[in-house]
Amino acid sequence: MKDNTNILTIITWVILLSLASILLNDIRQFDFNQFKEFQNWAESADKNESWFTSKNAIKWSYYVISVALFFFRGYLIYGFSYFLSILKEIEKGNYFSNNNIRSFKKIGNIFIWYTINVFVLRFLLASTRKSTFNFFNELKAEFTFLIPAGLALYILAEIFKQAKKTKEENDLTI
Amino acid sequence: MLTERKMKSKELAEIIGITTANMSILKSGKAKAIRFSTLEAICKALDCQPSDILEYVEG
Repeated sequence: MKDNTNILTIITWVILLSLASILLNDIRQFDFNQFKEFQNWAESADKNESWFTSKNAIKWSYYVISVALFFFRGYLIYGFSYFLSILKEIEKGNYFSNNNIRSFKKIGNIFIWYTINVFVLRFLLASTRKSTFNFFNELKAEFTFLIPAGLALYILAEIFKQAKKTKEENDLTI
Repeated sequence: MLTERKMKSKELAEIIGITTANMSILKSGKAKAIRFSTLEAICKALDCQPSDILEYVEG
């Protein structure tokens, strides 16, 4: 099992590092120039004028949504890092520990929250760009598989909880 | 029962083939269950009946 754990740890690290580098590359390539006009406006705006115009609000929200989308991708990578703590526990031989149960729940939570938030953000982004948002097309998108994966991890956490109880009972059967 | 038989718990553990850690779990009452094979081995080692070593306490 230890060999398998080592291989799985290496695979998890590779996935984590590639996800992080893809995210960093995307942030680097993100076209900040599209906000130039808005930034110039912020510098040269007449302070007596109302700043809250619908045009500004839309630009601001677009800016915020783009940042939030990056943030949630980072959040997903953080979720993946919990697999490492699970693998560490397994390596120690603590298969059914409280830490593993907690980690499974956390990963499940992160997967589900990521999908819901990205879904909402994409909807908002589509509305700020005035482009069409096709609900079913978004549902078909690759990221929605994380919802069933998150639910599966929740179920796994419950199974591990039960397994821990059974193991404790077994350990205390002389 | 052990003092009656002038036996140490370590010796009993060795005879019945369980670890001293499990023996102390058994003695402290933390055990959740006992296998028939263990009970049989204890009874055989101490030459007694299960009723001599088991007691019902209302909890």
